[in-house]
Amino acid sequence: MKVTVKLFATLKKDRFSEPSAVDLDDGSTVRDLLEILRIDEIDVGILVINARDATFDQKLSAGDSVTIIPPIGGG
Amino acid sequence: MPFGYNGKILHVNLADSSWAIEEPGEKWYRTYVGGSALTAYYLLKHLKPGVDPLSEENVLVFACSVVTGSPLSGYSRYTVAAKSPLTGAFGRTEAGGYFGPELKFAGFDAIVVRGRAPKPVYLYVNDGTVEIRDAAAIWGQDNWVTLEKIREETGEKMVRVASIGPAGERMIPYACVQNDLEHYNGRTGMGAVMGSKNLKAVAARGRQKPQMADPEKVKAIRKWHNDRIKVHPPNVGLSKVGTTGLIKGLNDTGILTTHNFRDGVFDGADKIGHEAYHKTIFDSPGTCYSCAVRCKRRVALEDEKYPLDKRFGGPEYETLAAFGSLCDIDNLPAVARANQLCNLLGLDTISTGAVVAFAFECFEHGIITEEDTGGRALNWGDGDAMLWLVEEIANRRGIGETLSEGVKKAAEIIGKGADKYAFHIKGQELPLHDGRGKTGMGMGFALAPTGADHIECPHDVAFQGEGVSKLHALGIFEPVKPLETNAEKVRFFVNGQKAWQINNCYGICNFCSVPIHAMTFQMLVESVRAITGWDTSLHDMVTVSERGTVMARVFNNREGFAPKDDRVIRRWHEPMPDGPLKGQYIDPKAFREAIDLYYELSGWDKDGKPTRGKLVELNLEWLIDESHG
Repeated sequence: MKVTVKLFATLKKDRFSEPSAVDLDDGSTVRDLLEILRIDEIDVGILVINARDATFDQKLSAGDSVTIIPPIGGG
Repeated sequence: MPFGYNGKILHVNLADSSWAIEEPGEKWYRTYVGGSALTAYYLLKHLKPGVDPLSEENVLVFACSVVTGSPLSGYSRYTVAAKSPLTGAFGRTEAGGYFGPELKFAGFDAIVVRGRAPKPVYLYVNDGTVEIRDAAAIWGQDNWVTLEKIREETGEKMVRVASIGPAGERMIPYACVQNDLEHYNGRTGMGAVMGSKNLKAVAARGRQKPQMADPEKVKAIRKWHNDRIKVHPPNVGLSKVGTTGLIKGLNDTGILTTHNFRDGVFDGADKIGHEAYHKTIFDSPGTCYSCAVRCKRRVALEDEKYPLDKRFGGPEYETLAAFGSLCDIDNLPAVARANQLCNLLGLDTISTGAVVAFAFECFEHGIITEEDTGGRALNWGDGDAMLWLVEEIANRRGIGETLSEGVKKAAEIIGKGADKYAFHIKGQELPLHDGRGKTGMGMGFALAPTGADHIECPHDVAFQGEGVSKLHALGIFEPVKPLETNAEKVRFFVNGQKAWQINNCYGICNFCSVPIHAMTFQMLVESVRAITGWDTSLHDMVTVSERGTVMARVFNNREGFAPKDDRVIRRWHEPMPDGPLKGQYIDPKAFREAIDLYYELSGWDKDGKPTRGKLVELNLEWLIDESHG
């Protein structure tokens, strides 16, 4: 199945800067997607799927739109 | 019977060692709730404008909220507030840890302290009893000795203590309050206000947790929240590396505050970042009351020059950047040692780091010379010079005497154009974020009643693209563009600020709460309903949040603050010299227009004063004369 991935800020570097389709096995979770994209969980600040708040263990469906933004807030 | 809170506010007058208990009733609690709003209420009621912040007339408030101490991750924060000796404005600072919940279990929702004790004392509340105890044995001691001695003297191993170190006793205007050596009410100099009152510490011990309206519902929400924390970004990252991961994130984005707020990239970022941190000085994670995130770090190092003791909290992002990149220092043990010294002596690490960077830049330009430092060079990147300065400041020795006043006043004392390098907003040194890469956050720094304050505002970057869905519940649907300053940005900021102020008023940690972390707006509201039994709503909570903001604004207007004080620093109006955001700056005209539009959207007049209509809307009629008199 294919999902569309939108990366922001430094996550674009060495990956892609425009929304891109990524091929995944059926039943894949966000964690599987991160592994393919070589993104460490600690580099994920915001994770949104189809404009809804999401979690790492969430299962993906064909056609999903996944937004990933690195953590660059306060603390 | 109230649920979630005690219904009791303790009033203490240190001048005559008297105390009384006020029971304001549910309507009052529903209006002022806790934290930022509750403290603003007492400062506005009991303080006259123009009072010297270090005089006995200042009023000091320690405040929990109606939900503090509930067994949910992040519901542990409490506020310390008074008129700030650093800014002359509304002073307020939050901390997590265990003190806030313990104060609630001891029977009080807040303590309002007035007057000055004739000699050093500490306040001890224990299961509803109140004692003002002699502090002769701990006055002059650091925070560690203070905690140990109070434990010994009270015979309570689990007593929780909010104390000041020698810096607070010396009334250094950026002295902090700390609880249990690891948690800090860092900002706006509340430690100095305690020192001015001869109040060394407040100790609390309690065994009576306030009953909750629906304990089973709270238990279910707790399970949902804690399960979610394990799989929800950025909580997963926070659990693994705390906030230390931000060094890399901000540096890669080009907004890691470097070289006294001039640059946005730091060559030594890897040496002070999370990987180096966890390979070299990390000991173990720490946490706050009932919190599953465990973002706190403890560090340890056996080293002759930079010994690190794990009893003190390790440096978090703000401190790593303050003593690290801001001073061009890539020596991680020295940075962590500076953090430990500040913790021991009771100095705010953000202001202290900014003061050191200011001193380095003044030295570079010949404004401070070796004649002023007794022959000591203050060169960029020199970790040992930084550590020397921290001790000189805490002891108010030599050049440290001048620097202990904070960059604004130090620049006035030094003269010779030092103000060109003194970066502050309303007198408070800046937290370690660069507004050139997130202009909404820049608005937050400009408008915070406490002076530059990163706990006051949304950080734009998180809400780009579909990230904006995090703010759908507040009616924000347009993706945020971090670098733009326009009407869309003001609409985002005005609404986003309300989410952050909810956390400040209800005493909930941003790292557990809305809008970014593992809580949702719906469950947040459900939790307050289940704890208090109130028929409350998001609308009600946003109103409390806005009430807190407006009260603090009225306080500052009363003190003579004006729209010209709602500004950012010179360097943010200058192009970023290098890195991914090279050339980026905040247009001063667009920024001024944005601030003016914020007033308009907020129901404030052109002078930045909340209108009569706004005050009536927020049940604040009693402030009409204060705001417009």
